[in-house]
Amino acid sequence: MSSSNAANRTAGSPPAIRVAGLAKRYGDFQAVRGLDFEVAPGEVVGFLGPNGAGKTTTLRMLTGFLPATDGEAVIAGHDIFGEPALARRAIGYLPETPPLYPEMTPASYVTFVAKIKDVPRGERAKQVEHALERCGLQHVRDQEIRQLSKGYRQRVGLAQAIVHEPAVLVLDEPTVGLDPIQIREIRALIRDLAATGKQTVLLSTHILAEVEAICQRVVLIDRGQKVLDQSIAELTADGGSLEEVFTRVLTRDEADETGEAA
Amino acid sequence: MHTFTIAGRELRALFVSPVAYVVLTLWSVIAGTFFLASLIGFQERMIQLQQFQMFQQIEETNLNDQLIEPFIGSMWVILLFLLPAVTMGLVSSEKANGTEELLLTSPISIWDIVLGKFLAGSGFVLVMTAIIAFFPALLFVYGEPELGKTVSGLVCLLLVSMTYVAVGVFASSVTRSQLIAFVLTLVLLVMLGLMLPFLVDITLAGSGVGSDSAISQVVRWIATGSHVDRMLRGLVDTADLAYFAISSAVFLLLSKTVIESARWR
Repeated sequence: MSSSNAANRTAGSPPAIRVAGLAKRYGDFQAVRGLDFEVAPGEVVGFLGPNGAGKTTTLRMLTGFLPATDGEAVIAGHDIFGEPALARRAIGYLPETPPLYPEMTPASYVTFVAKIKDVPRGERAKQVEHALERCGLQHVRDQEIRQLSKGYRQRVGLAQAIVHEPAVLVLDEPTVGLDPIQIREIRALIRDLAATGKQTVLLSTHILAEVEAICQRVVLIDRGQKVLDQSIAELTADGGSLEEVFTRVLTRDEADETGEAA
Repeated sequence: MHTFTIAGRELRALFVSPVAYVVLTLWSVIAGTFFLASLIGFQERMIQLQQFQMFQQIEETNLNDQLIEPFIGSMWVILLFLLPAVTMGLVSSEKANGTEELLLTSPISIWDIVLGKFLAGSGFVLVMTAIIAFFPALLFVYGEPELGKTVSGLVCLLLVSMTYVAVGVFASSVTRSQLIAFVLTLVLLVMLGLMLPFLVDITLAGSGVGSDSAISQVVRWIATGSHVDRMLRGLVDTADLAYFAISSAVFLLLSKTVIESARWR
């Protein structure tokens, strides 16, 4: 069911993200079991799964925060465990809770991140301004982050992720906990970033509408395994909604498991 | 390079936090009180000595031994109880804020984080030491203390503070709770600073092993007391300087290991 059409897309250039046999075990619990997928440069991929499927764990391994039990993750040609500094420079990462210092201002915070992401001194001011502008933060740039609304904090988190102009953007549930208007704003922002055609985005979520609105392809995982890897166009070609497709896939998967067990 | 980026951010964060100002205020008030008390005590002693015409003792009495040294020594004890409030959030707040994930997915090393935190804490204790330096400096206006001894005492206070900052960085890296970090730092500092020699004496008391046994000497070396005592008296010994360097390095190495291994569980 997982049509591996990633190979065709990446014929010319190396994939922006390549994950092979990636696995994570916490004690007896196998959170991620041998995950394989690729994302081509410029592609916007939805990384889906029910809560507890292993999405965050996978992203944390991909970004080098967690060591993998097994397998490899390659970002823009650099192995995250073999060449961590190069791979990390190529990633912009917005974790589930935006990693903010409440006492800083958006401007000073994004400048700090630009420094630790190795943005050259000469480029720094320009790129910080650019990131603030893209995320619509100029008018709150000198307010304390602790005073900002949740939607604005999420924008600061996004500005932090794009300030070093990374090849790959990894977003972990960027709209969780926001109100409908904020959700729409953040989605528009991500769409803008993706619209350049150069920005590779891996977007984790469990909201299907979000995937339909932003992504070209989905990778669906369940209990640490990939169960689907297809373009949105193909999935909805027969007129069915994404929701129907996923419900079918996920329940069939459960049926398989019960079948095996019996 | 990134060490200084981390240190700069942390130092700014320290100085916008109310904790920093509470600590600095308490520190200044306590220092002022102690200094004034020592000064009055010194004056009374001089008057008494003069009344009893004890010229020999007057000759031996000087500002360094009777005033500056006990003053800095007292502030060292106060430090044990105030410093944990400064260092408690150094690493633990990164975990609580979720910013640990930002730091550890950036192209910086764990040493940048550990040394950055240590430098920021050191910057703060430099300010604390400067406040203490103000009081002996007054004595130079009105009297003639020995410069060398005074400077040695102040440098000693700075070095012992930096060692304790390293302890604080370590305690702060094992937990995400500032409260736990505070208590752990306090316990470690009170052990290192005050309790260890007594504990070992009590333990060895009934066992027939003398207080000059190897174990007792090792524990005494680990405790800060003897090193501080010598340096406050103006005896700058490489062995004592090495003690401060080694103990700081040990705690920083432990911090690095803890931060690294937290992700491997």
